[in-house]
Amino acid sequence: MLLGKKATRYAIALFLIVSLNFFIPRSMPGDPLTNLLGEDIMLTASSVQELRERMGLDRPLSQQFLDYWHDILRFDLGYSFHLHRNVSDLIYDRMKWTLLLSLPAMVMGAILGTLLGARAGWKSSALRRTQTGFIMAIYCAPPYFLSLIALYLLSYKLCLFPLKGFYSTGSALDIAHHLFLPSAMMALFSLSRNYMIMKGSVLQEKGSLYATFARAKGLYDEQILFRHVFKNALLPIITLLALDFGFIFSGALFIEIVFSMNGMGSLIYDALLSRDYPVLQGSFLIITIMVVSANLLADLLYSYLDPRVRWQ
Amino acid sequence: MKQNTYKIASALLLCLMLIPFSTASEESSGMVLKIGTPNVVKSASILGDSNMGVFAHLSNPTLMKMAADGSLEGLTARSHEVSVDGKTWKFIIRDDLYWSDGEKLTSEDVKFTFDYLAENYPAAGWMKETVNDISTQDDAVIFKLNKPYSRLNLEFATYPILAKHIWESIEEPMEYTNEGEMLGFGPFYINSTDLGAGVIYFKRNPHWKGNVPNFDSVEIHTFANMDVLSLALEKGDVDAYYKYAGTYPYPSIRKLEDTGNFEFVEKDNIGLIFLGMNLKKEPMSDLSFRKALSYAINYSEMLKLDALGFGQVPNVGFVPLSMMNFKQTAQLEQNLSLAKSILDSAGYKDADGNGILEGKDGKDIRLTFLTRTDYQRVTELMVDYLKDLGIESEIKNVDSSTWIKQKDAGEYDLTITRSTPWGMLMHANWGTGYFDSRRTGEGVLHVLEDPEFHKLCDDILAATSQSQLQDYAYQVQDYYGENLPGIALYWNKVVTPYNKAFSGWYSDPLYGIFNVDNFLSVEKSR
Repeated sequence: MLLGKKATRYAIALFLIVSLNFFIPRSMPGDPLTNLLGEDIMLTASSVQELRERMGLDRPLSQQFLDYWHDILRFDLGYSFHLHRNVSDLIYDRMKWTLLLSLPAMVMGAILGTLLGARAGWKSSALRRTQTGFIMAIYCAPPYFLSLIALYLLSYKLCLFPLKGFYSTGSALDIAHHLFLPSAMMALFSLSRNYMIMKGSVLQEKGSLYATFARAKGLYDEQILFRHVFKNALLPIITLLALDFGFIFSGALFIEIVFSMNGMGSLIYDALLSRDYPVLQGSFLIITIMVVSANLLADLLYSYLDPRVRWQ
Repeated sequence: MKQNTYKIASALLLCLMLIPFSTASEESSGMVLKIGTPNVVKSASILGDSNMGVFAHLSNPTLMKMAADGSLEGLTARSHEVSVDGKTWKFIIRDDLYWSDGEKLTSEDVKFTFDYLAENYPAAGWMKETVNDISTQDDAVIFKLNKPYSRLNLEFATYPILAKHIWESIEEPMEYTNEGEMLGFGPFYINSTDLGAGVIYFKRNPHWKGNVPNFDSVEIHTFANMDVLSLALEKGDVDAYYKYAGTYPYPSIRKLEDTGNFEFVEKDNIGLIFLGMNLKKEPMSDLSFRKALSYAINYSEMLKLDALGFGQVPNVGFVPLSMMNFKQTAQLEQNLSLAKSILDSAGYKDADGNGILEGKDGKDIRLTFLTRTDYQRVTELMVDYLKDLGIESEIKNVDSSTWIKQKDAGEYDLTITRSTPWGMLMHANWGTGYFDSRRTGEGVLHVLEDPEFHKLCDDILAATSQSQLQDYAYQVQDYYGENLPGIALYWNKVVTPYNKAFSGWYSDPLYGIFNVDNFLSVEKSR
């Protein structure tokens, strides 16, 4: 029953957001033809008209909107005149690389960030204070800057990693070699954020009565932390992870730019600059589905972890 | 022992996970020349991706080429001639050119290319309105036009020649992508385009009969980040830098020099940075106002701050001295008192004493500067110069698409923009394409409605001799000097760094080092 209600709510949200995805790109100045051919190409009026017709830009907005929904319901994401491919093929190609780059980073960042953050929040020591200072520095640093520094030191100075791309030769080891540094950088950023939040959350929870009671019962510190406090402190992290999962594709933009990787982040960024409506709509659709399903999952997890939510 | 087992198992697991992503990519072999570029290729379409189109000139050369002095010479054509009335052009095709599959390149291929492009390629749509008929006669291709068109040979320095036996079955050339081998008849052909690795691999054309290239292959490595490209150059991952219509960033030149491993090809740019004005709005439509603006600008400071001195202060004639038929006009200079007196005489006064001049409608002059991030610094300088003149202006910084849209809608007063080398040559040449109100395009302002200017453009297009062209070129530059539809801010140099381990670099004014002659002359230094 609860699941049914939630699913209906999310379905309505999905419909509204997917509809918005049509209007958002069109509310920006320009259209896909604006930036199609290059700054020093001149077109005749008939060529412009021909292109507008081919791209469907000559049709009324209401008609375009109906076509948009019609295509979505047939799982047709359209065609990019900028990248000369079907959007679904494009997204599939880029998505697999971005997933390979981001997913391990997200998982590592989540596991290490919560574990280290929980320990740092539970008990203070000189080592943990230094660790917090270091992680806070990473948390505050602009990702673009820090990635460039890492690239400069590890790839340029020490020649440990390549400077760009997903691969050179295409072998499995070569891909791993190319992905290690950008993935590690992403993991570091994810770790730092999760660490700070988990630390704060544990700090708040450890003063609760149930923690004091557990200590009074004679439980060891580790037992109190990981059997009782950890579960309650994890709630804010779950929300963040759900959001992370939703933005897993667009969130890698800076890394993709620094490491010259053709992933989903750069696909969306380029599509924004060139007003490539089909690519934007297709990418937004994927992001929407991921955000909505991740939130639904987070909702369910919440009710599993927190009985108060379940009772409500 | 147990820990080691875990480590080995983890590594194996990682490799297994990556196997589905493994691709058969190329590995460098033999003598390779590697070029690094920020011109990222987004799709392997030689007609649909502008960057890919430039790189494809190495495999699919153009009919004509631009020589170092800006003159036009044959490339696929051995020679060409034009009738006295300027309506019949005959191009004799070289007989020693072969496609990489061994087929001979014929005049039929050339005829097919232009028929095909006119019909299917929007950027060549003008041909449908100008070219009546294309025919072949042995090794010659003859173009019959419905009116004289002086720049036909120049236009033909940009379109790649296509293989008829391949392209005739392709209905939509702009949408045609091929990441594998693409047939070419230049010294190199495209063996593959790997967008994931960001590399275009060229291999030596086994059927090339001209001068033998000094390399077995050429690789174009694209970088989304300029800082990383600089590091790749320094590290030796790439041997030279290339950017269409652009220079290596001036602030980074010193760092390369300090390594002692680099030399530079320095060429005067035929493109330039200029101040564009919305001539359809007051007060920009007033010549006196434009003249005053031209005297308000500190050109030397702009050159020093934005181009680090790599260039020179321009002339009122707008056209850079490196262009064919350049005419020496007066050099632009800053003279604030003269600028103020021009404005005063023209009726722009600060009657209410608030420090801001009033326009002819009695209201304070507050102008909008439409600009893009690339020109932020120059725009800020301009705002200061205008302030010194008593004119308030606000900066509206937008992305490229918004700039194009607002520029076309006339929603601006002033803008800083640039002309590319081809931009200076398009339409009736000498930058006319940027101003003629009858033309449209992404980078052009099309704000000049003066019939005198339109006639001058039409005369250039209909010219039938070189002497006529030169005469009109001088008239255009005089027109720019007298009417200031745009004000050149500086003429800069295109600096292209290359590793000292290579020599023999040659640059042309249109495509820089990316020309066939360069790739035949570059060699590994002894």
